Amino acid sequence: MKGIKKDFTLMAILLIPIGVAVNVVAGELVHLLKVPIFLNQIGTMIVAMLAGPWVGAATGAVSKLFFGVFDPAQLAFLPVSMATGIVVGLLAKKGMTTKIWKVTVTGFIVAIVAILIATPITIMVFGGASGTGSDAFTAVLLASGREIWTAVFTQKIFVESFDKIFSIFVAYFVVRKMSDQYLSKQNYGYLYINNKSNKNNKNNKKVG
Amino acid sequence: MEKLRSFILNLYPTTKLFCTLFVCIIPFLLPGYLYSYLILLVCLFIAMLAGKAKFFANFVFKGLFPIVIMIFLLQSFFYPGDTILWSWGTFSIKQEGIDFSLQLTSKIVAIGSALILFFQITKINDLARSLEILGVSPKATFVLVSSFNIIPEMRQDMIRIMDAQRSRGVETEGKLRVRMKAFIPALTPLILSSFSSTVEKAITLESRAFTAQTKKTNLQQLEKTKGDKLVRTILLILLVFIIIWRFSL
Repeated sequence: MKGIKKDFTLMAILLIPIGVAVNVVAGELVHLLKVPIFLNQIGTMIVAMLAGPWVGAATGAVSKLFFGVFDPAQLAFLPVSMATGIVVGLLAKKGMTTKIWKVTVTGFIVAIVAILIATPITIMVFGGASGTGSDAFTAVLLASGREIWTAVFTQKIFVESFDKIFSIFVAYFVVRKMSDQYLSKQNYGYLYINNKSNKNNKNNKKVG
Repeated sequence: MEKLRSFILNLYPTTKLFCTLFVCIIPFLLPGYLYSYLILLVCLFIAMLAGKAKFFANFVFKGLFPIVIMIFLLQSFFYPGDTILWSWGTFSIKQEGIDFSLQLTSKIVAIGSALILFFQITKINDLARSLEILGVSPKATFVLVSSFNIIPEMRQDMIRIMDAQRSRGVETEGKLRVRMKAFIPALTPLILSSFSSTVEKAITLESRAFTAQTKKTNLQQLEKTKGDKLVRTILLILLVFIIIWRFSL
Protein backbone atom coordinates (compact mmCIF):
# COMPACT_ATOMS: atom_id res chain seq x y z
CA MET A 1 0.00 0.00 0.00
CA LYS A 2 2.83 2.36 0.86
CA GLY A 3 4.38 1.84 -2.55
CA ILE A 4 1.09 2.72 -4.23
CA LYS A 5 0.79 5.97 -2.30
CA LYS A 6 4.37 6.86 -3.10
CA ASP A 7 3.71 6.44 -6.81
CA PHE A 8 0.85 8.97 -6.80
CA THR A 9 2.89 12.18 -6.70
CA LEU A 10 1.43 15.44 -8.02
CA MET A 11 3.27 14.99 -11.30
CA ALA A 12 1.91 11.47 -11.61
CA ILE A 13 -1.64 12.60 -10.85
CA LEU A 14 -1.40 15.24 -13.57
CA LEU A 15 -0.34 12.56 -16.03
CA ILE A 16 -3.59 10.61 -15.59
CA PRO A 17 -5.94 13.10 -17.33
CA ILE A 18 -3.44 13.54 -20.17
CA GLY A 19 -3.15 9.78 -20.56
CA VAL A 20 -6.94 9.46 -20.62
CA ALA A 21 -7.24 12.19 -23.22
CA VAL A 22 -4.53 10.58 -25.36
CA ASN A 23 -6.44 7.28 -25.19
CA VAL A 24 -9.66 8.93 -26.29
CA VAL A 25 -8.17 11.12 -29.01
CA ALA A 26 -5.97 8.32 -30.40
CA GLY A 27 -9.07 6.12 -30.51
CA GLU A 28 -10.86 8.82 -32.48
CA LEU A 29 -7.89 9.37 -34.78
CA VAL A 30 -7.94 5.66 -35.64
CA HIS A 31 -11.60 6.08 -36.47
CA LEU A 32 -10.87 9.15 -38.60
CA LEU A 33 -8.12 7.41 -40.55
CA LYS A 34 -10.32 4.31 -40.85
CA VAL A 35 -7.61 1.99 -39.55
CA PRO A 36 -9.27 -1.24 -38.37
CA ILE A 37 -7.71 -1.48 -34.89
CA PHE A 38 -8.49 0.24 -31.57
CA LEU A 39 -5.19 1.72 -30.36
CA ASN A 40 -7.06 3.23 -27.42
CA GLN A 41 -4.56 2.34 -24.70
CA ILE A 42 -1.50 4.26 -25.89
CA GLY A 43 -1.92 6.91 -23.18
CA THR A 44 -2.26 4.25 -20.50
CA MET A 45 0.98 2.66 -21.67
CA ILE A 46 2.91 5.94 -21.71
CA VAL A 47 1.69 6.84 -18.23
CA ALA A 48 2.51 3.35 -16.94
CA MET A 49 6.02 3.62 -18.40
CA LEU A 50 6.64 7.03 -16.81
CA ALA A 51 4.79 6.79 -13.51
CA GLY A 52 4.54 3.12 -12.61
CA PRO A 53 1.93 0.37 -12.69
CA TRP A 54 -0.64 1.83 -10.27
CA VAL A 55 -0.90 5.20 -11.95
CA GLY A 56 -1.12 3.30 -15.23
CA ALA A 57 -3.98 1.20 -13.88
CA ALA A 58 -5.81 4.35 -12.76
CA THR A 59 -5.39 5.83 -16.24
CA GLY A 60 -6.81 2.70 -17.81
CA ALA A 61 -9.79 2.70 -15.46
CA VAL A 62 -10.65 6.39 -15.91
CA SER A 63 -10.39 6.17 -19.69
CA LYS A 64 -12.78 3.21 -19.77
CA LEU A 65 -15.15 5.27 -17.60
CA PHE A 66 -14.97 8.01 -20.20
CA PHE A 67 -15.53 5.60 -23.10
CA GLY A 68 -18.41 4.20 -21.07
CA VAL A 69 -20.23 7.53 -21.03
CA PHE A 70 -20.94 7.13 -24.74
CA ASP A 71 -20.72 3.38 -25.09
CA PRO A 72 -21.61 1.60 -21.83
CA ALA A 73 -20.53 -1.77 -23.25
CA GLN A 74 -16.93 -0.55 -22.93
CA LEU A 75 -17.26 -0.45 -19.14
CA ALA A 76 -17.22 -4.23 -19.00
CA PHE A 77 -13.69 -4.18 -20.38
CA LEU A 78 -12.39 -1.98 -17.57
CA PRO A 79 -10.31 -4.85 -16.07
CA VAL A 80 -8.50 -5.30 -19.39
CA SER A 81 -7.25 -1.73 -19.57
CA MET A 82 -6.33 -1.72 -15.88
CA ALA A 83 -4.32 -4.90 -16.41
CA THR A 84 -2.61 -3.28 -19.42
CA GLY A 85 -1.47 -0.42 -17.18
CA ILE A 86 -0.27 -2.73 -14.43
CA VAL A 87 1.61 -5.14 -16.72
CA VAL A 88 3.31 -2.37 -18.71
CA GLY A 89 4.22 -0.55 -15.48
CA LEU A 90 5.68 -3.62 -13.79
CA LEU A 91 7.69 -4.61 -16.86
CA ALA A 92 8.87 -1.03 -17.37
CA LYS A 93 10.17 -1.00 -13.80
CA LYS A 94 12.20 -4.07 -14.64
CA GLY A 95 13.70 -2.19 -17.59
CA MET A 96 11.70 -4.11 -20.18
CA THR A 97 10.78 -0.99 -22.18
CA THR A 98 14.21 0.39 -22.96
CA LYS A 99 15.17 -1.48 -26.13
CA ILE A 100 13.29 -2.47 -29.24
CA TRP A 101 13.53 -6.23 -28.67
CA LYS A 102 12.52 -5.83 -25.04
CA VAL A 103 9.55 -3.67 -26.08
CA THR A 104 8.48 -6.44 -28.48
CA VAL A 105 8.57 -8.98 -25.66
CA THR A 106 6.61 -6.61 -23.40
CA GLY A 107 4.06 -6.13 -26.17
CA PHE A 108 3.54 -9.88 -26.43
CA ILE A 109 3.13 -10.26 -22.66
CA VAL A 110 0.60 -7.39 -22.54
CA ALA A 111 -1.29 -8.94 -25.44
CA ILE A 112 -1.43 -12.35 -23.75
CA VAL A 113 -2.74 -10.83 -20.50
CA ALA A 114 -5.31 -8.80 -22.45
CA ILE A 115 -6.48 -11.91 -24.35
CA LEU A 116 -6.79 -13.95 -21.16
CA ILE A 117 -8.92 -11.29 -19.47
CA ALA A 118 -10.93 -10.10 -22.45
CA THR A 119 -12.04 -13.53 -23.68
CA PRO A 120 -14.06 -14.57 -20.60
CA ILE A 121 -15.58 -11.06 -20.38
CA THR A 122 -16.65 -11.12 -24.03
CA ILE A 123 -18.27 -14.53 -23.68
CA MET A 124 -19.88 -14.15 -20.26
CA VAL A 125 -21.14 -10.59 -20.58
CA PHE A 126 -21.85 -10.32 -24.30
CA GLY A 127 -22.18 -13.94 -25.38
CA GLY A 128 -19.19 -13.63 -27.70
CA ALA A 129 -20.03 -10.36 -29.46
CA SER A 130 -18.13 -7.13 -28.97
CA GLY A 131 -20.01 -4.67 -31.17
CA THR A 132 -17.05 -4.05 -33.47
CA GLY A 133 -16.09 -5.22 -36.94
CA SER A 134 -14.05 -8.10 -35.54
CA ASP A 135 -17.31 -9.87 -34.65
CA ALA A 136 -17.51 -10.93 -38.28
CA PHE A 137 -14.33 -12.91 -37.72
CA THR A 138 -15.85 -14.64 -34.68
CA ALA A 139 -18.90 -15.47 -36.77
CA VAL A 140 -16.76 -17.01 -39.52
CA LEU A 141 -14.97 -19.19 -36.97
CA LEU A 142 -18.27 -20.23 -35.41
CA ALA A 143 -19.68 -21.05 -38.82
CA SER A 144 -16.73 -23.31 -39.53
CA GLY A 145 -17.86 -25.40 -36.58
CA ARG A 146 -15.65 -24.12 -33.76
CA GLU A 147 -16.86 -23.75 -30.20
CA ILE A 148 -17.64 -20.26 -28.87
CA TRP A 149 -14.59 -20.21 -26.55
CA THR A 150 -12.18 -21.23 -29.29
CA ALA A 151 -13.75 -18.82 -31.73
CA VAL A 152 -13.56 -15.78 -29.44
CA PHE A 153 -10.11 -16.75 -28.22
CA THR A 154 -8.77 -17.02 -31.78
CA GLN A 155 -10.37 -13.74 -32.77
CA LYS A 156 -8.83 -12.02 -29.73
CA ILE A 157 -5.38 -13.41 -30.54
CA PHE A 158 -5.47 -11.69 -33.92
CA VAL A 159 -7.04 -8.43 -32.79
CA GLU A 160 -5.41 -7.90 -29.39
CA SER A 161 -1.84 -8.93 -30.21
CA PHE A 162 -1.63 -6.63 -33.21
CA ASP A 163 -3.35 -3.82 -31.31
CA LYS A 164 -1.24 -4.07 -28.16
CA ILE A 165 2.11 -4.52 -29.89
CA PHE A 166 1.50 -1.58 -32.22
CA SER A 167 0.33 0.53 -29.25
CA ILE A 168 3.37 -0.20 -27.14
CA PHE A 169 5.67 0.67 -30.04
CA VAL A 170 3.97 4.05 -30.45
CA ALA A 171 4.23 4.58 -26.69
CA TYR A 172 7.89 3.62 -26.73
CA PHE A 173 8.77 5.99 -29.60
CA VAL A 174 6.93 8.86 -27.95
CA VAL A 175 8.66 8.34 -24.60
CA ARG A 176 11.99 8.16 -26.40
CA LYS A 177 11.31 11.59 -27.91
CA MET A 178 10.71 13.22 -24.52
CA SER A 179 13.45 15.51 -23.25
CA ASP A 180 15.74 14.37 -20.46
CA GLN A 181 14.70 17.40 -18.46
CA TYR A 182 11.06 16.28 -18.57
CA LEU A 183 11.84 12.63 -17.94
CA SER A 184 13.86 13.51 -14.87
CA LYS A 185 10.71 14.88 -13.23
CA GLN A 186 8.84 11.59 -13.56
CA ASN A 187 9.05 8.72 -11.09
CA TYR A 188 10.46 6.21 -13.52
CA GLY A 189 11.74 8.62 -16.15
CA TYR A 190 15.38 7.81 -15.35
CA LEU A 191 14.96 4.53 -17.22
CA TYR A 192 14.84 6.39 -20.53
CA ILE A 193 17.44 9.06 -19.96
CA ASN A 194 20.65 8.96 -21.96
CA ASN A 195 20.01 5.43 -23.10
CA LYS A 196 22.31 5.66 -26.09
CA SER A 197 25.33 4.99 -23.91
CA ASN A 198 23.94 2.11 -21.98
CA LYS A 199 26.97 1.71 -19.78
CA ASN A 200 26.37 5.05 -18.12
CA ASN A 201 22.79 4.11 -17.42
CA LYS A 202 23.41 3.04 -13.85
CA ASN A 203 24.99 6.36 -12.96
CA ASN A 204 21.93 8.16 -14.22
CA LYS A 205 19.53 6.35 -11.95
CA LYS A 206 19.94 8.99 -9.27
CA VAL A 207 18.61 11.77 -11.48
CA GLY A 208 14.94 11.00 -10.74
CA MET B 1 -43.06 20.37 -17.87
CA GLU B 2 -40.46 23.04 -17.16
CA LYS B 3 -40.87 22.32 -13.47
CA LEU B 4 -40.30 18.60 -13.92
CA ARG B 5 -37.28 19.31 -16.03
CA SER B 6 -35.54 21.44 -13.47
CA PHE B 7 -36.57 18.95 -10.78
CA ILE B 8 -34.74 16.13 -12.57
CA LEU B 9 -31.69 18.21 -13.44
CA ASN B 10 -31.40 19.67 -9.94
CA LEU B 11 -31.51 16.40 -8.06
CA TYR B 12 -28.49 15.80 -5.87
CA PRO B 13 -25.83 13.87 -7.87
CA THR B 14 -25.67 10.95 -5.47
CA THR B 15 -29.47 10.63 -5.62
CA LYS B 16 -29.14 10.16 -9.36
CA LEU B 17 -26.34 7.68 -8.71
CA PHE B 18 -28.65 5.70 -6.41
CA CYS B 19 -31.32 5.68 -9.12
CA THR B 20 -28.77 4.35 -11.61
CA LEU B 21 -27.59 1.62 -9.24
CA PHE B 22 -31.21 0.71 -8.54
CA VAL B 23 -31.91 0.34 -12.24
CA CYS B 24 -28.74 -1.74 -12.65
CA ILE B 25 -29.93 -4.21 -9.98
CA ILE B 26 -33.49 -4.59 -11.29
CA PRO B 27 -32.68 -6.84 -14.28
CA PHE B 28 -31.06 -9.34 -11.92
CA LEU B 29 -34.01 -9.33 -9.51
CA LEU B 30 -36.93 -9.47 -11.91
CA PRO B 31 -37.65 -12.53 -14.03
CA GLY B 32 -37.87 -12.50 -17.81
CA TYR B 33 -36.77 -9.73 -20.10
CA LEU B 34 -39.85 -7.61 -20.49
CA TYR B 35 -39.25 -5.43 -17.40
CA SER B 36 -35.63 -4.89 -18.35
CA TYR B 37 -36.58 -3.69 -21.83
CA LEU B 38 -39.17 -1.40 -20.25
CA ILE B 39 -36.31 0.33 -18.44
CA LEU B 40 -35.10 1.65 -21.80
CA LEU B 41 -38.49 3.27 -22.34
CA VAL B 42 -38.55 4.65 -18.80
CA CYS B 43 -35.06 6.11 -19.28
CA LEU B 44 -36.13 7.60 -22.61
CA PHE B 45 -39.16 9.14 -20.91
CA ILE B 46 -37.00 10.66 -18.16
CA ALA B 47 -34.57 11.93 -20.78
CA MET B 48 -37.48 13.53 -22.61
CA LEU B 49 -38.66 15.23 -19.44
CA ALA B 50 -35.14 16.51 -18.87
CA GLY B 51 -34.93 17.74 -22.47
CA LYS B 52 -32.09 15.38 -23.38
CA ALA B 53 -34.03 12.90 -25.49
CA LYS B 54 -32.05 13.60 -28.65
CA PHE B 55 -28.65 12.99 -27.07
CA PHE B 56 -29.94 9.99 -25.18
CA ALA B 57 -31.38 8.36 -28.30
CA ASN B 58 -28.22 9.14 -30.22
CA PHE B 59 -25.95 7.43 -27.68
CA VAL B 60 -28.25 4.44 -27.31
CA PHE B 61 -28.27 4.09 -31.08
CA LYS B 62 -24.51 4.38 -31.46
CA GLY B 63 -23.36 2.63 -28.31
CA LEU B 64 -25.88 -0.08 -27.56
CA PHE B 65 -27.42 -0.99 -30.91
CA PRO B 66 -24.34 -2.46 -32.63
CA ILE B 67 -23.57 -4.82 -29.79
CA VAL B 68 -27.20 -5.86 -29.34
CA ILE B 69 -27.51 -6.67 -33.03
CA MET B 70 -24.25 -8.64 -33.01
CA ILE B 71 -25.35 -10.64 -29.97
CA PHE B 72 -28.60 -11.51 -31.73
CA LEU B 73 -26.84 -12.55 -34.92
CA LEU B 74 -24.20 -14.65 -33.17
CA GLN B 75 -26.53 -16.34 -30.69
CA SER B 76 -29.50 -17.01 -32.92
CA PHE B 77 -27.31 -18.75 -35.51
CA PHE B 78 -24.78 -20.50 -33.31
CA TYR B 79 -26.43 -21.16 -29.94
CA PRO B 80 -26.98 -24.90 -29.54
CA GLY B 81 -30.66 -25.82 -29.83
CA ASP B 82 -33.18 -27.95 -31.70
CA THR B 83 -36.16 -25.67 -32.29
CA ILE B 84 -35.37 -24.41 -35.76
CA LEU B 85 -37.33 -21.34 -36.82
CA TRP B 86 -35.76 -20.55 -40.16
CA SER B 87 -32.93 -22.10 -42.08
CA TRP B 88 -30.81 -21.35 -45.09
CA GLY B 89 -28.35 -23.96 -46.22
CA THR B 90 -26.36 -25.08 -43.20
CA PHE B 91 -27.37 -21.99 -41.21
CA SER B 92 -30.46 -21.91 -39.05
CA ILE B 93 -32.03 -19.57 -36.52
CA LYS B 94 -32.98 -21.36 -33.34
CA GLN B 95 -35.58 -20.49 -30.72
CA GLU B 96 -33.11 -21.21 -27.89
CA GLY B 97 -30.64 -18.72 -29.32
CA ILE B 98 -33.30 -16.02 -29.59
CA ASP B 99 -34.37 -16.65 -25.98
CA PHE B 100 -30.79 -16.49 -24.77
CA SER B 101 -30.15 -13.27 -26.73
CA LEU B 102 -33.28 -11.66 -25.31
CA GLN B 103 -32.19 -12.50 -21.76
CA LEU B 104 -28.65 -11.23 -22.29
CA THR B 105 -29.43 -8.09 -24.27
CA SER B 106 -32.26 -7.03 -21.93
CA LYS B 107 -29.73 -6.73 -19.10
CA ILE B 108 -27.20 -4.92 -21.27
CA VAL B 109 -29.83 -2.52 -22.61
CA ALA B 110 -31.20 -1.79 -19.12
CA ILE B 111 -27.81 -1.12 -17.51
CA GLY B 112 -26.49 0.69 -20.56
CA SER B 113 -29.43 3.05 -20.90
CA ALA B 114 -29.37 3.81 -17.17
CA LEU B 115 -25.70 4.75 -17.39
CA ILE B 116 -26.19 6.87 -20.51
CA LEU B 117 -29.07 8.68 -18.84
CA PHE B 118 -27.03 9.25 -15.69
CA PHE B 119 -24.22 10.96 -17.56
CA GLN B 120 -26.70 12.97 -19.62
CA ILE B 121 -28.49 14.49 -16.62
CA THR B 122 -25.53 14.84 -14.24
CA LYS B 123 -22.86 17.49 -14.54
CA ILE B 124 -19.49 15.92 -13.94
CA ASN B 125 -18.43 18.87 -11.75
CA ASP B 126 -21.42 18.35 -9.47
CA LEU B 127 -20.77 14.64 -9.26
CA ALA B 128 -17.14 15.25 -8.31
CA ARG B 129 -18.16 17.77 -5.63
CA SER B 130 -20.72 15.41 -4.12
CA LEU B 131 -18.18 12.59 -4.06
CA GLU B 132 -15.76 14.92 -2.33
CA ILE B 133 -18.38 15.67 0.32
CA LEU B 134 -18.80 11.90 0.76
CA GLY B 135 -15.10 11.70 1.57
CA VAL B 136 -13.44 10.80 -1.74
CA SER B 137 -9.95 12.29 -2.04
CA PRO B 138 -9.86 15.66 -3.86
CA LYS B 139 -7.01 14.27 -5.93
CA ALA B 140 -9.29 11.55 -7.31
CA THR B 141 -12.09 13.99 -8.15
CA PHE B 142 -9.55 16.33 -9.74
CA VAL B 143 -8.44 13.51 -12.04
CA LEU B 144 -12.07 12.86 -13.02
CA VAL B 145 -13.00 16.46 -13.72
CA SER B 146 -9.79 17.39 -15.46
CA SER B 147 -9.94 14.32 -17.76
CA PHE B 148 -13.37 15.40 -18.92
CA ASN B 149 -12.17 18.96 -19.46
CA ILE B 150 -8.96 18.15 -21.30
CA ILE B 151 -10.50 15.89 -23.94
CA PRO B 152 -12.34 18.55 -26.02
CA GLU B 153 -9.24 20.73 -25.83
CA MET B 154 -7.04 17.95 -27.11
CA ARG B 155 -9.51 17.13 -29.88
CA GLN B 156 -9.07 20.68 -31.16
CA ASP B 157 -5.29 20.31 -31.00
CA MET B 158 -5.48 17.08 -32.96
CA ILE B 159 -7.49 18.68 -35.78
CA ARG B 160 -4.94 21.52 -35.91
CA ILE B 161 -1.99 19.11 -36.05
CA MET B 162 -3.67 16.99 -38.73
CA ASP B 163 -4.19 20.10 -40.85
CA ALA B 164 -0.59 21.15 -40.36
CA GLN B 165 0.75 17.73 -41.27
CA ARG B 166 -1.48 17.52 -44.31
CA SER B 167 -0.22 20.90 -45.48
CA ARG B 168 3.35 19.63 -45.34
CA GLY B 169 2.45 16.62 -47.40
CA VAL B 170 1.52 13.83 -45.02
CA GLU B 171 -1.17 11.81 -46.76
CA THR B 172 -4.16 10.85 -44.66
CA GLU B 173 -6.22 9.13 -47.30
CA GLY B 174 -5.65 6.21 -49.60
CA LYS B 175 -4.44 2.70 -48.94
CA LEU B 176 -4.36 1.19 -45.47
CA ARG B 177 -0.58 1.47 -45.32
CA VAL B 178 -0.71 5.18 -46.15
CA ARG B 179 -3.33 5.80 -43.50
CA MET B 180 -1.37 3.80 -40.91
CA LYS B 181 1.69 5.88 -41.71
CA ALA B 182 -0.24 9.10 -41.08
CA PHE B 183 -0.98 7.96 -37.55
CA ILE B 184 2.47 8.58 -36.08
CA PRO B 185 3.10 12.15 -37.35
CA ALA B 186 -0.37 13.17 -36.19
CA LEU B 187 -0.14 11.63 -32.76
CA THR B 188 3.46 12.22 -31.67
CA PRO B 189 3.40 16.04 -31.55
CA LEU B 190 0.01 15.95 -29.86
CA ILE B 191 1.16 13.60 -27.11
CA LEU B 192 4.51 15.31 -26.60
CA SER B 193 3.04 18.79 -26.30
CA SER B 194 0.26 17.74 -23.94
CA PHE B 195 2.57 15.73 -21.72
CA SER B 196 5.06 18.56 -21.44
CA SER B 197 2.28 20.91 -20.31
CA THR B 198 1.99 18.94 -17.06
CA VAL B 199 5.04 20.67 -15.61
CA GLU B 200 3.38 24.09 -15.79
CA LYS B 201 0.14 22.64 -14.49
CA ALA B 202 1.97 21.23 -11.47
CA ILE B 203 3.46 24.63 -10.71
CA THR B 204 0.06 26.32 -11.03
CA LEU B 205 -1.67 23.80 -8.78
CA GLU B 206 1.09 23.93 -6.23
CA SER B 207 0.86 27.72 -6.08
CA ARG B 208 -2.83 27.27 -5.20
CA ALA B 209 -1.89 24.87 -2.36
CA PHE B 210 -3.34 21.82 -4.05
CA THR B 211 -1.37 19.31 -2.00
CA ALA B 212 -1.45 21.30 1.26
CA GLN B 213 -2.96 19.35 4.13
CA THR B 214 -5.55 21.92 5.16
CA LYS B 215 -9.29 22.27 4.96
CA LYS B 216 -10.23 23.96 1.72
CA THR B 217 -13.16 26.13 0.84
CA ASN B 218 -15.24 25.50 -2.23
CA LEU B 219 -17.16 27.94 -4.40
CA GLN B 220 -19.52 25.29 -5.69
CA GLN B 221 -22.63 24.86 -3.59
CA LEU B 222 -24.71 21.69 -3.63
CA GLU B 223 -27.88 21.29 -1.64
CA LYS B 224 -30.10 18.36 -0.93
CA THR B 225 -33.75 19.27 -1.37
CA LYS B 226 -37.07 17.72 -0.41
CA GLY B 227 -37.14 16.16 -3.85
CA ASP B 228 -34.04 14.13 -3.07
CA LYS B 229 -35.62 12.73 0.07
CA LEU B 230 -38.77 11.90 -1.86
CA VAL B 231 -36.91 10.12 -4.66
CA ARG B 232 -34.73 8.18 -2.24
CA THR B 233 -37.72 7.04 -0.17
CA ILE B 234 -39.65 5.95 -3.25
CA LEU B 235 -36.63 3.98 -4.49
CA LEU B 236 -36.17 2.27 -1.13
CA ILE B 237 -39.85 1.32 -0.92
CA LEU B 238 -39.77 0.03 -4.50
CA LEU B 239 -36.65 -2.03 -3.83
CA VAL B 240 -38.11 -3.61 -0.67
CA PHE B 241 -41.37 -4.25 -2.51
CA ILE B 242 -39.60 -5.94 -5.43
CA ILE B 243 -37.48 -8.12 -3.16
CA ILE B 244 -40.48 -9.24 -1.12
CA TRP B 245 -42.55 -9.89 -4.25
CA ARG B 246 -39.74 -11.80 -5.93
CA PHE B 247 -38.82 -14.05 -3.04
CA SER B 248 -42.31 -14.76 -1.77
CA LEU B 249 -43.22 -16.34 -5.10
